[in-house]
Amino acid sequence: MKHLPKHLQPRWRYLAVEVESHPDARIDRGDFQRELWYAAQNLYGDAGSAASDLTVLSFAFADGDGETVVRAYRGREGRARAALACISEVNGSPVGVRVAGVSGTVRACEERYLGRRAGNSGQRDVAFENESRSAVVRGSRVDVRGAGGFVGATQLDFE
Amino acid sequence: MYEAVHAHPDGDSTAARFAETAARQGYDGVVVRADDARPDYEGLEEADCDVVDGVEIVADGPDRASGAVGNFRPDRTVVVVRGGTNQLNRFAVEQDRVDVLSRPFAGDGDVNHVLAKAAKRNGVRIEFDLAPALRATGGHRVRHLDDLRKLKRILDHYETPYVVSANPRSHLELRAPRELAAVGEEIGLGAEWVRGGLAEWGRVAARNRERLSESFIAPGVKRGRYEEDD
Repeated sequence: MKHLPKHLQPRWRYLAVEVESHPDARIDRGDFQRELWYAAQNLYGDAGSAASDLTVLSFAFADGDGETVVRAYRGREGRARAALACISEVNGSPVGVRVAGVSGTVRACEERYLGRRAGNSGQRDVAFENESRSAVVRGSRVDVRGAGGFVGATQLDFE
Repeated sequence: MYEAVHAHPDGDSTAARFAETAARQGYDGVVVRADDARPDYEGLEEADCDVVDGVEIVADGPDRASGAVGNFRPDRTVVVVRGGTNQLNRFAVEQDRVDVLSRPFAGDGDVNHVLAKAAKRNGVRIEFDLAPALRATGGHRVRHLDDLRKLKRILDHYETPYVVSANPRSHLELRAPRELAAVGEEIGLGAEWVRGGLAEWGRVAARNRERLSESFIAPGVKRGRYEEDD
């Protein structure tokens, strides 16, 4: 179908979103999109969801760190932000979500706000609560493997 | 703005990890509401943001809570009492040694105008717990949001002090102030109200630190030379 004349095209805003989870989490674009739509539907219903759009555009996730760009209608950035804040779990893994910034184009969004986090992670054994445990180290962040899942710590805890 | 967190072993992340994530999200500091947690606060002076030593008293009745408040008040900066029953809520708002009454609606507890007035008289802040708004669904969430709106209406009328917290149990449950403000706007509390509640933690911590410092004598009393008259 022929595309709309420019003055009738919707105006978008793009939210740069940082996603964090445990190092063993597996999340792809579809999982995140589903959770985002569920969160929006639970928070402000079908009508509000349709009025916000909330399409997940690009999505990258590896070793517990990810970034994505979420599209929303102009003027609905606040509602989009609220729905993003209500995502607590994706694919069974708890996730932390932070909006790094909002832009008018995908390119500005990616260039200005994304790609900041260093992506190298390594394994190490640490002494935690008088026990030797294996841990995943990402920069200053240390995730200690325990019986009931990971415990979040930092290098400060092992000095 | 400050957030009050459950550090390991109460939660799943250490106080240092909370501090790092909170600093990244734009908080000025975190209040550790310790129940079993005993973080090393001296080592945390190097953390990315301010870490406040707090305690959250979880008791099954006012008698036990009263003893705990007496034990912790002299050496902890922020004393929080977890409510949840009408007796505990009533006890907390009538004690001027208590800084914050948390989760007043957990269990079968409730807040009314009597408690709001008592809280204002004794300077006890009542907590808006955003955790179910962020992480629960269905009827439980609906009832909680209804309770929060009612609480706002009451506290607004009596100008009772309040705090806002997402009650994070791990660094992944922390949400930035702007995100919480957006949620607040959506659920009918208003963005400014949420920001005010997050900032209040910082004011409590600053006031109590001053009171705990050695130079403090009594409110309004300072040691020093007379002010000179012209």
